Amino acid sequence: MAETKRKTRDEGRRERSKIGSDGEVLGQDLYEYEEGVPEEESKKNRRFDPVDNLDYELPEDFEDENVSSDDDNEVKNAGVIEAEDEVKEEDEGRTIREIPSELLKIVSFANSECSYIKQCNFRVHTVISRGRRNNVVVSEAYPESEYNPTRDILEGEGALSIRDLLDPLQGKHGYSKLRKSVRTLEKKSAPIQAPLPKPVQERLERNAAYDKSKEELRKWEPIIKRNREAPTIYFDDDRDLGPSSVGTIASEFEPRTEFEKKIASLVYDDEVMDAHRKDGSRLRLELNKVSAEDEKDRQNRIAKMRSLLFRHELKSKHIKNIKSKTYHRLLKKDKLKANSILGQMDPEAAKELAMKQEYERAKERMTLRHKGSSKWAKRIKERGVDVQDDGTRAAIAEQQHLHAQLTRKMNSMKDSDTSSDDISEDDDMDVNSDDEGRASKLLEKAKEKTLKLLDEDNEVPNSGVLNLPFMERAFKRKNEAAAEEAKLALQEYESWSKQLGDSGGVNNPKVGSPSGRMVFDGKEAPVSSKKTKSDNKNRSDNYYGDSDSEDDMEPRENTDVGKYRNNDLMKDANTSPVLCQEDSENHKDSLVKNFDGSVQDPGPQTTHEVSIFASGTWRRLFQMKNGSDANANAKKSPGPLQSVVLDQHTQEPVKDLDEDSDADSEGQMVDGVLSAVPEPSYQLPSQEELIRQAFAADNVEDEFKKTKEDILNEENPEPEKPVLLPGWGQWTNVQKKKGIPSYMQKEHESAKKKREEAIKQRKDANLKHVIISEKPPNKKAQKLFTQSLPYPFTSKEIFEQSIRMPLGPEFNPASTVGALNRPEVIKKPGVIIKPIEFEEVNAYEKLEGHRKTEQNHQKNNKSKSNSHSRKNMTYMKTK
Amino acid sequence: MKVKVISRSTDEHTKERSQDLQRVFHNYDPSIRTQEKAVEYVRALNAAKLDKIFARPFVGAMDGHIDAISCMAKNPNHLTGIFSGSMDGDIRLWDLASRRTVHQFPGHQGAVRGLAVSTDGHVLVSCGTDCSVRLWSVPISTAMELDVSSDKSVEPLETYVWKNAFRSVDHQWNFDRFATGGAGVEIWNHNRSAPEQSFEWGTDTVISVRFNPGQPDILATSASDRSIALYDLRMGKPAAKLIMATKTNSICWNPMEPINFTAANEDCNCYSFDSRKLNEAKCVHKDHVSAVMDIDYSPTGREFVTGSYDRTVRIFQYNGGHSREIYHTKRMQRVFCVKFSCDASYVISGSDDTNLRLWKAKASEQLGVLLPREKKRHEYHEAVKNRYKHLPEVKRIVRHRHLPKPIYKAAELRRTMTEAERRKEEKRKAHSAPGSITSKPLRKRRIVKVEE
Repeated sequence: MAETKRKTRDEGRRERSKIGSDGEVLGQDLYEYEEGVPEEESKKNRRFDPVDNLDYELPEDFEDENVSSDDDNEVKNAGVIEAEDEVKEEDEGRTIREIPSELLKIVSFANSECSYIKQCNFRVHTVISRGRRNNVVVSEAYPESEYNPTRDILEGEGALSIRDLLDPLQGKHGYSKLRKSVRTLEKKSAPIQAPLPKPVQERLERNAAYDKSKEELRKWEPIIKRNREAPTIYFDDDRDLGPSSVGTIASEFEPRTEFEKKIASLVYDDEVMDAHRKDGSRLRLELNKVSAEDEKDRQNRIAKMRSLLFRHELKSKHIKNIKSKTYHRLLKKDKLKANSILGQMDPEAAKELAMKQEYERAKERMTLRHKGSSKWAKRIKERGVDVQDDGTRAAIAEQQHLHAQLTRKMNSMKDSDTSSDDISEDDDMDVNSDDEGRASKLLEKAKEKTLKLLDEDNEVPNSGVLNLPFMERAFKRKNEAAAEEAKLALQEYESWSKQLGDSGGVNNPKVGSPSGRMVFDGKEAPVSSKKTKSDNKNRSDNYYGDSDSEDDMEPRENTDVGKYRNNDLMKDANTSPVLCQEDSENHKDSLVKNFDGSVQDPGPQTTHEVSIFASGTWRRLFQMKNGSDANANAKKSPGPLQSVVLDQHTQEPVKDLDEDSDADSEGQMVDGVLSAVPEPSYQLPSQEELIRQAFAADNVEDEFKKTKEDILNEENPEPEKPVLLPGWGQWTNVQKKKGIPSYMQKEHESAKKKREEAIKQRKDANLKHVIISEKPPNKKAQKLFTQSLPYPFTSKEIFEQSIRMPLGPEFNPASTVGALNRPEVIKKPGVIIKPIEFEEVNAYEKLEGHRKTEQNHQKNNKSKSNSHSRKNMTYMKTK
Repeated sequence: MKVKVISRSTDEHTKERSQDLQRVFHNYDPSIRTQEKAVEYVRALNAAKLDKIFARPFVGAMDGHIDAISCMAKNPNHLTGIFSGSMDGDIRLWDLASRRTVHQFPGHQGAVRGLAVSTDGHVLVSCGTDCSVRLWSVPISTAMELDVSSDKSVEPLETYVWKNAFRSVDHQWNFDRFATGGAGVEIWNHNRSAPEQSFEWGTDTVISVRFNPGQPDILATSASDRSIALYDLRMGKPAAKLIMATKTNSICWNPMEPINFTAANEDCNCYSFDSRKLNEAKCVHKDHVSAVMDIDYSPTGREFVTGSYDRTVRIFQYNGGHSREIYHTKRMQRVFCVKFSCDASYVISGSDDTNLRLWKAKASEQLGVLLPREKKRHEYHEAVKNRYKHLPEVKRIVRHRHLPKPIYKAAELRRTMTEAERRKEEKRKAHSAPGSITSKPLRKRRIVKVEE
């Protein structure tokens, strides 16, 4: 950049000097461009005739009319610069350069020297065009005349050259310089561009400078990146903190005071130093002269010290021995304890102890002293203990005590063994007896229910689809069938109850045990259906109960099946359909599950369990019963049709439900709806119907209502009823009479009101099918959560991962604790941190290496703190 | 068959020497230690509380000046030496360890507006409104002998008088040059009575000048025409200029990241720029409630300290939008200059109340020599606190600072104002054709234009 600038400046100078020497000194219109060379003169394609103007020479006293010479000359220097601006405005396309000051000097020189040139004050224009090779000084295109020579003349032999103009100056001051510059100009003259406008030019320069410095700064990127990404940056490099050892400090010591100097003269005595340097023996022997008196003194002193020490020691010993009584007692105790412990610790002693104990035991066994059965003891008992003297009595007491101890010991050991067994046996017994009783009871109940149903079922619903004539017909038919069935069932019950009665104690468990599950299902079903109609609350409980009992009963049922089978005839015929039924079961279960899941969680779980536990035998058994008692359900599809039903399993999941899902009260519920549906021979129900049927069983709404109620109660708890404190004021009878105080009642009322209002104000108060929880957040847990994802993390998982591992020394091996806890910046207080210096960085280098290089680099810094050349430094580093 | 046997070799469990540490075996299975997270959380909480308890940032005040302190300079070669210049033309050298004046440099007629020390710490450069630049030789043994007899006829090494008053001075790192800012930017040499170079770009006064310590040929200035300009000495040309909505009072380069600098602005914020991309700030550091008067980077390059006209000193992370620390005392007035000590552990502030104040850079740091065990403990506390800093409880304790009432109220006011502005803009956006109103991010909002 600078180079080019200089060049242009030179060129400018050359040009200027040319002009100057020509004597064409000019004011504001130095660069003025008005018009190109006339076409005739440029002789394009030789289309114009040459004009002869050969002989004309400018007279010496020629004056240009057009020139306002005096003014121009005066403002010359300033005008040059002004002119530039004008030119700029005139011609944007051209590039113009600033005219340096040296140029002006030349001009002024030329002016002062050759005053005559002023007179011939040509208006000279430098015209620069692309095609031209040389700088040409062209005269203004005034009308061609004898006063105004054409270019041909100027270019021809008679042309006026700069040299011609210079000649008169010969011998004057500065001529040679001028001539030289002219010559160089002539030699290598190149086209020169007009300078740019100043602001534009400056902007360009600034841009260039900015780009350059940006480029320069780019080298820092990898270093900065590395430092930023490093988990830790270190500024605690080991620095030279001055002398580290005492020796180095001492070596720098210079004696200053009198005393120090005296000591130094003794210590650094040549003789001593010499001896010290050799082997030191001389230092010990020759130079170490001690007088006898001194020695004696020293010995005396030492003896005195020793005696003093000895006395002191004695005294302290004495003091140490003086202790209180309690101290000694405690000491003794401790000693004993220690001895016993020591005995235990010592294997031999322990062995001895064991031997001793064993001996005692053996002796006890031999003598059976504790029983008091020895002759001596008997005799004493005979005589009476009271009569004996103290010693004998004590001995007897001891024996008895021993006996008591031993028996107690024995008992305690026995107890622990037996207790658990007893309990379990009891449990079993209970269960059995319960089952037996329950079976008979259930039978009775079932009978009652069936009878009731027989009575009730005659009532026909009066509205809806069921009111249609064909429906009525179907209903009737069905009722008849159901009645038959019911009768059959009743017969069955009677026979069973007889059986129960006949078989008595032996038979009971056999029949009763299957009843535990199956009879319950078979006969309880209608009951539960009733129940579901009345209250939904028990239902969920039922579920749990059923599934539990199922678990318990299963094995026993399996064992009992064989016996039961003998009694039944239908069994064999039914087994095969049962199998296919089981196949379809899964399908149906899933269906149940689906619509249950939306309502309540436990529902699907229990049904699922049912399907799992329904083993083949169990299922068969159930099926048999279905056949035999025709389900005892008046509403149900008739028994004979069962095979048909089985075939239709896939199409009628609801019926399946009723037959398979034993404990499900839903099955029975479905029956209630099904009863409206015409006879089994009917066509496939419509989609709507199906859906209705499918969802009829579960009272989604009711359940939902219930759960909502629960939630409401939980979130806005009902106020407690005011109760009198038990015992408070009772004895006066006053409180009783008065009843609960009015303020309590008021409080209760207000609390109730508040609750109602709160419930009304809930967001879900008017939304039947929505629960909006307004539970206040758990404050304790809230503390452990962030409100939002912290800044640098992009996902919850990453954040959680980042705080998963603990940091502490208890939870981490010592080798990793340091790295885990290292702070981001490590610095030493008191160490000056220098600004960063450039070093070549491999962006992919490992951090370990980085640290080393950093340290090296710091060391380098120290070594060349004086050298100011940064380039050298970087060179050293990169090397 | 699988047989499990406990085996312990005696070699592993016996100490060879009495100094040997007993070997302890740990099972680090996290399933065994289910409480470790809870334990660490509580520790973090305690660490945060302890930090609060031990937060005693104020070390001491240094009084002696009789007028407001206008500028300070730290000696890059001597940790405890700090120079301060005041509005009455007094320059003092302080010993931070004893907190006493060690030396005085009388001579300036008007206010001293700029101080700088050469890299080797031997030459102090001062400039002021009396149009003079003075070079002083710094006495070497500052701490040992207290030169109370300051009028030991301390004469400046050189006095260069120039055409205009000066506003600031900064010394180039590792070279003999220094730059002054006044009517223009002048580059001086120690040995020349006239500037080597002078730059002018625009006609307004240059308020602050800072050399880039990492890249010593680059220079940043801020001027009263609200501009920040970069100069490159090698080119001898200004490089770039950016004009902001308000004036920049001070500039500081990041000593560890030579491409970045931070500008302390009149609009209460600091703006961190990448010097290569001036059209947007990299980070806006908010929190002050009045003009930020001075800024200085920690030598670690990870944080910087700012002094503000609101009578507080704040410490920011280099990439943090909000301050991590605020220092104030009842008696501290407008803060005109701040410096970070060369070992990055202290902060010095000079204020209108003629005092210099020495603060710890980390409020709860334990001073003095630490045992390795103590050090480990501190590190652990710091790490645990850092881990759980996002949890509300810990965050609350760590962030809480007691503020003087006026500052608290001013901050609140500012918050409501910005919030109102934001809301208004939002509404405007919502009620006009989509795309017709665009909002600039805060990083760009205050930048008026970038000149080339």
